Amino acid sequence: MPRSHGVNTWTSATGRFGRRAFLAASAAGVAALSGCGTGFALRSGDGSGSAEGRLSFTLWAGEAELTAFRALADEWSAGSGVPVVFNVVPFGELLTGIDANLASDRAPDLFRVTYQDIGLYADGGALLDLTDRLPAGYADGFTEAFRRAVTHQGRLYGVPHHTDTSLVLFDTEAVRAAGITPPTTLDTAWSWDEFTDAARRLPTRADQFAFGVNWQQAGAYRWLNWVAQRGGRLLDDGLTGPAVPNRAARDALALTQSFFDEGLVPPTTSTKGSYVDELFTTQTIGMVFAGDFLLPTLDPALTAQGRDYGATFLPRDETAAADLGGNAVVATATSVNAEAAADFLAFLAGDDAQARFCQEAVVLPTRTALVERGLDYPLRPDLMELFVQQATTITPELVEQVTVPQFNAVNTALVDRLEQAFLGGDDPAEVLDGLADDVEGRLS
Amino acid sequence: MTAAAQTAVTTLPTPSTPARRRRRGAGRDALAAWGLLTPNLLLFGVFLLLPLAATFWLSLYRSSGFGPREFVGTGNYRELAGDGTFWRSALNTAVYAGITVPVSLVLGLGVALAMNRPLRGRGFLRAVYYLPYVISGVVVAVAGRYVFNENVGIVNRLLRAVGLPGVAWQSEAVPAMTALVLISVWTKVGFAMVVYLAALQNVPKEYLEAASTDGANRWQQLRHIVVPLLRPTTVFLVVLGVIESFQVFDVVYVLTGGGPGNATEMLVTYAYAEGFDARRQGYAAAIGVLTYLVVLVLTALWWRRQKAQEAAQ
Repeated sequence: MPRSHGVNTWTSATGRFGRRAFLAASAAGVAALSGCGTGFALRSGDGSGSAEGRLSFTLWAGEAELTAFRALADEWSAGSGVPVVFNVVPFGELLTGIDANLASDRAPDLFRVTYQDIGLYADGGALLDLTDRLPAGYADGFTEAFRRAVTHQGRLYGVPHHTDTSLVLFDTEAVRAAGITPPTTLDTAWSWDEFTDAARRLPTRADQFAFGVNWQQAGAYRWLNWVAQRGGRLLDDGLTGPAVPNRAARDALALTQSFFDEGLVPPTTSTKGSYVDELFTTQTIGMVFAGDFLLPTLDPALTAQGRDYGATFLPRDETAAADLGGNAVVATATSVNAEAAADFLAFLAGDDAQARFCQEAVVLPTRTALVERGLDYPLRPDLMELFVQQATTITPELVEQVTVPQFNAVNTALVDRLEQAFLGGDDPAEVLDGLADDVEGRLS
Repeated sequence: MTAAAQTAVTTLPTPSTPARRRRRGAGRDALAAWGLLTPNLLLFGVFLLLPLAATFWLSLYRSSGFGPREFVGTGNYRELAGDGTFWRSALNTAVYAGITVPVSLVLGLGVALAMNRPLRGRGFLRAVYYLPYVISGVVVAVAGRYVFNENVGIVNRLLRAVGLPGVAWQSEAVPAMTALVLISVWTKVGFAMVVYLAALQNVPKEYLEAASTDGANRWQQLRHIVVPLLRPTTVFLVVLGVIESFQVFDVVYVLTGGGPGNATEMLVTYAYAEGFDARRQGYAAAIGVLTYLVVLVLTALWWRRQKAQEAAQ
């Protein structure tokens, strides 16, 4: 059967050849994947795990921030002779990557971390204790709130590199048309009632709302501003259990729930909803609670629309209080360059370096000298001055609550419970009872 | 052994030679088969079985993902039993699967039937229907946000433009789930279409011609000939669809974030929130293990039922 024979010969020849080629290719593929395997946890880039002779620094950063980081690192390297290599990753992937690297002993020397996450890493023994590695008196240069933000069980585990906080931004034309005159000093900031009255004067309809608050998802902790403004707390003084329900929390929840009930805020801006800054640029809301870090994004968008905008301070009640934003930079406990890492951190958060970083990246300082002296911001210096003033109301009491090691878990409970009150219309007392149970369970 | 015997052995005719050749051939084939299978089995073991075992192991601990972990045995599973959000997520996932799978299958079959006949621009239309399936889920969800954004989305703008009230796509439970289902069905129809289209090529034309001769109309042909012949394909699509539905993450995460309330929270998004937002990775692993078991049981039951039906026929 020549035909059959021919087919068999062809099949056999190509099959053998193909099989070998395929097996070789498969082996190469497996080898390639195995090679990748060790690199999965690490991101591509010019940085990697801790190694002698250089500092590796894993961070997320916007363009302006990265430029500032690089310039400062180059300056430090010129003096120390130790190069700093950066491993830039998206914000959402940094912590999972760091966790994987810590678990596989491939942690970098340094990484950037939010204040809300630092307690978790310090508690897990992942961070280098800087208490005795920084120059004497160095930590005293930070205001108390920020010193506490990087302190865990009395030891210093990072440098408070910069902070962010919120103000109420407003559309100048909308506010003028409603006959509203926003306060211009911290002392004369709106009371809760004054703020609500002002909001009620802004026009609302089906697709138009008075304002939006930035308490979505990881920002749910910003709701604690309202509790603190009425003199209350979420966690007890020992930070081991819930302080809710209490009068301040009930009042704060009743007030913020009323924003939804009255239709002053879009229902889509609950704690699981959409971020509010985009609603400000689309003119869906007339005022927005927004952090200073949003100015580089908001300003060009609003300028392009020919809109003018201003800012006023957060409402206050019995006292003023503002949310702790911003980031610290930490060194890892497994760093083989502990001395150089500590030296770099001391340089990075020193007066001069911090001033340059804050000005270039448009963020707020944590060093007392810079807060007092003021900075020369290239973008809306008039508003940045207000942000700097508002940041002085970030209280140590609020800071210690949002930096406990379990705060991520507490924040997710806040997201769920506040959503129940805001959109479900649940009774504030019941919501706070549920929140207390959640907090108790998560702190345990 | 004597020399004579040796000679006898060596000079014996060798009826077993072809058999030995066959055995040698079979041995070579087996070697080749193992050679081909080994990389896959290695990958399967390293990237599926090992993580599965590790996930089960992790589910017995209280762990933040690094640092010291505490053995809690079945503690995470007992906590899940009393966790309302977990049960709500399970219900949502079941509802989501219960709607998206049949709807996408019916629509997929309809489109496949339409595309199976001469039609101008058929190739282009097939690509148009299939495209959403190959686009990243995140991109689909971002597009979905432009369409279903409650404040500035396309749908609500159109509704308001004609004097109708907008729909609360993001702030009310039923509309939020509806938006999610619509987006998901849009992405799944293309895949069902392609698979059904391939299966339709195997439906013997003679059967349809005979039925037509006997006076069966198109609907009767479809119902009594085509659909029964497509049963194995449908079983495959149902199993795959249910598994995919229980794995849904990116569309939900970007489109609704699980809200409003827990209205669109799914098992996987809840596991992610617990594992990476709340840093309760042992608890998240327990959710993952239970999800895996549910899908396994559902798939096995469905498969068994179908095999029993086929055997009965």
